Amino acid sequence: MSHHETVCGPTPRLADAVLAEIATALARLAEADEETTIDLKSLPLGPGDLAHLAETLGEGEVRCDLDVAGRSEVRETRFAGVWWIRHFGLDDTVAVEEIAVTRLPEILMSHPDDVARAAKALAEVAARPAPLADEEDPSRG
Amino acid sequence: MDLLDFARGPAINVAMAVLVFGVLWRLLAIVFLGKPVDRTVPRLGTPGPFMAGVREIARRMVPHPTFAFAERFAFFNGWVFHVGLAIVVFGFRPHILFVKNLTGLSWPALPSGVIYAVGAITALSLTAALIKRLTSPVQRFISTADDYVSWLVTMAPVVTGLAAVGHVGARYETLLAIHILSVAVLLIWLPFGKLFHAVLVFLSRATTGAFLARRGV
Amino acid sequence: MADFATLGDRLADFGVSRRAFLKYASWLGSLMAMTPAASRAMAAELAKARRQSVIWLSFQECTGCTEAITRSYGPTLEDLIFDFISLDYHHTLMAVSGEAIEHARKEAMAANKGKYIVAVDGAIPLKDGGIYSTSAGETNLAMLEETCKDAFAIISIGTCAAYGGIPKANPNPTGAVSVSDIIKDKPIINIPGCPPIPEAMTGTIAYLLAFGKVPELDHLGRPKAFFGDNIHDRCYRRPFYERGQFAKSFDDEGARAGWCLYEVGCKGPVTYNACATTKWNGGTSFPIQSGHGCLGCSEPDFWDKGGFYVPLSGSVGPTAKLIGGAAIAGAVAGVAAAAVARHRKSSLNKG
Repeated sequence: MSHHETVCGPTPRLADAVLAEIATALARLAEADEETTIDLKSLPLGPGDLAHLAETLGEGEVRCDLDVAGRSEVRETRFAGVWWIRHFGLDDTVAVEEIAVTRLPEILMSHPDDVARAAKALAEVAARPAPLADEEDPSRG
Repeated sequence: MDLLDFARGPAINVAMAVLVFGVLWRLLAIVFLGKPVDRTVPRLGTPGPFMAGVREIARRMVPHPTFAFAERFAFFNGWVFHVGLAIVVFGFRPHILFVKNLTGLSWPALPSGVIYAVGAITALSLTAALIKRLTSPVQRFISTADDYVSWLVTMAPVVTGLAAVGHVGARYETLLAIHILSVAVLLIWLPFGKLFHAVLVFLSRATTGAFLARRGV
Repeated sequence: MADFATLGDRLADFGVSRRAFLKYASWLGSLMAMTPAASRAMAAELAKARRQSVIWLSFQECTGCTEAITRSYGPTLEDLIFDFISLDYHHTLMAVSGEAIEHARKEAMAANKGKYIVAVDGAIPLKDGGIYSTSAGETNLAMLEETCKDAFAIISIGTCAAYGGIPKANPNPTGAVSVSDIIKDKPIINIPGCPPIPEAMTGTIAYLLAFGKVPELDHLGRPKAFFGDNIHDRCYRRPFYERGQFAKSFDDEGARAGWCLYEVGCKGPVTYNACATTKWNGGTSFPIQSGHGCLGCSEPDFWDKGGFYVPLSGSVGPTAKLIGGAAIAGAVAGVAAAAVARHRKSSLNKG
């Protein structure tokens, strides 16, 4: 698409429009605690746009790697409350790329159902006395 | 068979066949009619029939100075939509492809943006022509159903074509089908109504020119 | 791991958390242009849903649709769908054969009466009593009618099942028809394509599972979420069309520069599918990106539209013969009319 740009001259970047949208969303989060998700995949962004967006938003303090039905990556940008989320699909291609304007992305939180199940499982483990180290596995002889 | 298949297939094929049949029928019927024997002696110093014909065609491209002011609207507006139609019909890539697919002939196209603009101007110009026809008492008096039908079948492809490229009103395949069907109607009407001037205009002007020159007019 | 467990519990048994549902729903939500709230609802509903029984019937088909849907391996996002459904009958994928698989089909039908989904790939031949395609001694027509009777919904996978496709192509020797030509009393979702985009198939199934209803369809029975846009409107080569830069052949400078393929017969402007956005093989490419025009494979009768390489604005049919005939007839009529007029005039002059 560099060809396109040389023909038509500099065009207004779509990334700037997205930045403006993020800024509005962040103001809403600050004032009314209202969350927003922006699906970057649904926008006709060029590679230049994504790079520009990434450069402007920068890197924050939090960086999480998730291993859930494939790989995922959740990063806070240098603007607190603006999170960059990427879910990877087949062959490590980016399946989902979104900006979440929230205090904590939902995907990082433990789901109540998972917590309930985990509580039961951990209670069972805790109720069983731990085997002594030296009689751990009789089959090993 | 959906609407687009019908338009691209039977409809446009039959319309082109009717056009060719109608044009050849009417044209040859006139050409082979022969002209009446003129027993008068041509005036001295008048050009031959060919030169006189060409001169008449050129002369009628602009109105006579006497009527230039009165006819200024018909003159300018007439030129606008005629040239506009020519540009849209022969300058748009898909139209050239239609001809190329049929005959193998092709020529360079104009950018689509230019075509859209010219198409819009043409539609406005045709609208103005109709308004003039309806509001001018004289023009309205001499207008027949043929004039209105001819206007309609000319306007329809312009409007439907603009709708198709702009995706206005329906899905593209439906708009394209309607556009092609409107062209089919135009092609069928052309040989039998006043639109036949597209074929006859220069022939009749040249004939008139040759006839008048002989008399020294 | 009982069959009555919810999908949430099922996946939890495999050590997969609810996050997988969130991730899956945000992926599908993005593909189907759902709002973030809707995709969040989808995640919750999917976790609550039961495993869906799917009976897959293969009729006059080439197995390309099955190939497309099973192309991904490994524990990936795209594969989660296989944990959500129970594929109770599928000729190609089942380990058993013969009587046993017909038994499996009838068992699944009885156990999930009114709740199972029937996926069909392939057209159904009706000519000569439907003998041109049979399995287990039954014609496709009989098996389709029997299986669909107690179904919740039917998904016609691929253009053959949806619209008759290639078996129905002229001259249609077997009298092939689509599923919707036969089944009239059940909701039918068409996922056409040759083959369909895997995400369109799995996304539609997931939608049915999560929301228990048929997604919004267009006038040809296709989910608007995947078939709402035409290829041309979403094509990355569209700027070349607008600028009038066209490849004239598959090997010229324009083709190499990646210009618009309209002139070499691309059917993108009249084809509705998600190829230009979702693309194929995990977003790798799609036909136009690989240098070939769109064939229009997700549209009815795409095989009989007058040629893949005839530009859309070209006429199709026996134009030359027709016009030649008309020219001769017109010339004869014209000369005859002139002769009659001259004759009348000369007889008037004499008289």
